[in-house]
Amino acid sequence: MRSLIRGRMAWVLAAVAAILVASLGTGRAASPPSEINIGTLYASTGPFAVSSESEYRGLQFWAEGVNKEGGVFVKAFDKKIPVKITAFDDQSSTSTATTLYNQLITQNKVDILVADFGSVLTSVAVPLAAEHHMLLIDPTGSGANFFTQKTDYLAEVSLPASSVWPVPLALFLLDHKIQRVAVIFGSNDFDASQAETLKALLEKGKVSPVYFHAVPTTESNYQVLLHTLAASHPDAVIEFGYAGNDISFLRALASSGLHFDMVFTVFPGQLFDLLIKNVGVKTLSYTLTYPTAPLVTYEKVTNGLNTADFVAAFKKATGRDANFLDVAGYNAGVIIEKMLGTATEFSQLAFHSALMEMSGNTTTLVGDFKINENGAQVGELLPVAQLQPEGRGLKIVVVYPSDKATGKLVNPAPRR
Amino acid sequence: MPSARPDQIRQPPLRDGIILIVVLAVIFLVAPKVYGNQSLLLVMMTFVALAQGLNLLYGFTGYLPFGYVGFFGAGAYGMSILVLHAHVPAIPAVIGGGIVAVIFGVILGPLLRLSGAYFSIANLATAQILLLAVANPSLTPLTGGPYGLKLQQVFAPGAAYLTMLVIMLLATVIAVYFRRSRFGLGLRAMTDDRVSAEMAGINIVRARLIVWLISAAIAGLAGGAYAWSISVYYPDAVFGTNISVFAIVFALAGGVGTVIGPIVGAILLYALYNAIGITVPQYFELLYGFLIVILVLFLPEGGLSLLRRRGVDVL
Repeated sequence: MRSLIRGRMAWVLAAVAAILVASLGTGRAASPPSEINIGTLYASTGPFAVSSESEYRGLQFWAEGVNKEGGVFVKAFDKKIPVKITAFDDQSSTSTATTLYNQLITQNKVDILVADFGSVLTSVAVPLAAEHHMLLIDPTGSGANFFTQKTDYLAEVSLPASSVWPVPLALFLLDHKIQRVAVIFGSNDFDASQAETLKALLEKGKVSPVYFHAVPTTESNYQVLLHTLAASHPDAVIEFGYAGNDISFLRALASSGLHFDMVFTVFPGQLFDLLIKNVGVKTLSYTLTYPTAPLVTYEKVTNGLNTADFVAAFKKATGRDANFLDVAGYNAGVIIEKMLGTATEFSQLAFHSALMEMSGNTTTLVGDFKINENGAQVGELLPVAQLQPEGRGLKIVVVYPSDKATGKLVNPAPRR
Repeated sequence: MPSARPDQIRQPPLRDGIILIVVLAVIFLVAPKVYGNQSLLLVMMTFVALAQGLNLLYGFTGYLPFGYVGFFGAGAYGMSILVLHAHVPAIPAVIGGGIVAVIFGVILGPLLRLSGAYFSIANLATAQILLLAVANPSLTPLTGGPYGLKLQQVFAPGAAYLTMLVIMLLATVIAVYFRRSRFGLGLRAMTDDRVSAEMAGINIVRARLIVWLISAAIAGLAGGAYAWSISVYYPDAVFGTNISVFAIVFALAGGVGTVIGPIVGAILLYALYNAIGITVPQYFELLYGFLIVILVLFLPEGGLSLLRRRGVDVL
């Protein structure tokens, strides 16, 4: 009797084992999804709305483009699959963003997670993505805090880490033997990390800033600060801020009657039309900036549209002139497309391996894609450009590094 | 300023309070097993705790703290600094965050000399000053300055969730005590007629300072647990004025001066906030704004006033 029971148990165990093996086998050969679900957030209101909506628009433009051609090629299934974007509005709030990122991961079960614009709204996604073993595609969250350790779950795709942004700027200042540099910056990770990097590099070149001052991110009155700064008699004034800060700073500079030989601000190179509209051609003339696509163009790309083609196609599709953040959103899509076309399995770790494989041999409309093991973008270095008058408008003249220069620096800038 | 109504003065039975606390605990213990978005549930508990902490102050003393988020941020930073610099384990550090908020409460105690809008505006200003202080680059070695803080070494969302649950229940227990005790009755008497209450032997200065510090401690504890749960954050994330605004709206929507009002207000409105945000994000502002306007127009004393009008005694 006992042996009979043992015999039956053996059969039962064998059957269970067979079912398990069969189910595991089924898991490996999962059927392709009907669509690739890409989850992201955008902000329709609040301080990040302008930038966030642009970035989202760029991603949508990419998705519409690939869907017209039947979807993206997914190597793991050896076929094209349409793309669906699931997007929620976080209203520039980190607490709302936290719950919505979690919603995308746990309820919508998205295949690919894309962060909202900027470091603040990306910050809450970084630990959540790691907790749920999801690869976070980070278009523009460049805060140095994110990239402090090796990770398989984070990849910055459309901008270099903010701590490396001012490297060419510092070399440019040292190269031009600018001795008296004043730096004014917003009290946030994005601006302060640029300011600290610039200061460290200048000090390495034996130049100590004559003025180094942080202001609240919400600062909108630069009048008194400008006069204080002018008292240090700088040869160059560097202002690191968000778009709103840059506008307030440049307006205050125009109305103060002060003149500096060299002025640098960040956002004319990213949101050129917005700055022109709010500040005017005259005030922006001879200002230095980091030029980003589409203001600088990359003709030869390995994936996606090149910069000029993107600008034309985007204008045709949306009726808008593309800015950098439209480009950044589109570029995130292009990187995702190549990642899916490279990954041999449809899993988050395989996606990350694909990105590492692509790193260093991929060029898109924002430059060379290269990420390190911490997920930081180190390939797309930003040159220095000057906005020089041309007719009734302004043209972007890249002035540094010399191998990318498209014209000569005007220094000192003529009085406005 | 809320005035005590006869049905509020009647002390509700202890049994109601115990049932409420048990129901609340069961809901939030079971919810993550049914609904996977634990972050949403955690933020919901955070707002219940904050609305309740604000209710203790505004509902029982009449002081409306627009800068209540200052204590929340102080707790978040207190907790984080203890973890990062003193290597204190997370749970004691959360308690430390509450203590830091109480210390700030003591420092800001003189604000209670003001009243009405003056108090609210001064309180808002202090929260902004705290934000600017922690975000100052000169304090980077201590507070992380503008670069924010990263608590990856103690990141444990499950434990942070349970901690927030305990804090929310603690806030509710204190609110039940306020509703049932002579101390709470004294506070409401003080709110209605300060001079008469003082004549009746209530030590007004001591009573309102105690409530102020308890309210600060709840916000500080909630801030500590919140910082633990998100683990990477910038100063704006824990000092944002919208946190105060949400807590005030949720408490007022449910009904201040009660125990259940802020809980109902926070849970319903935050759930609605997310439901609209997730289903029709393009109409989010319109729908949510419309709801708030309806609430203010037709239920200015909070949702629970509907029950009171029908003679139901609300805890």
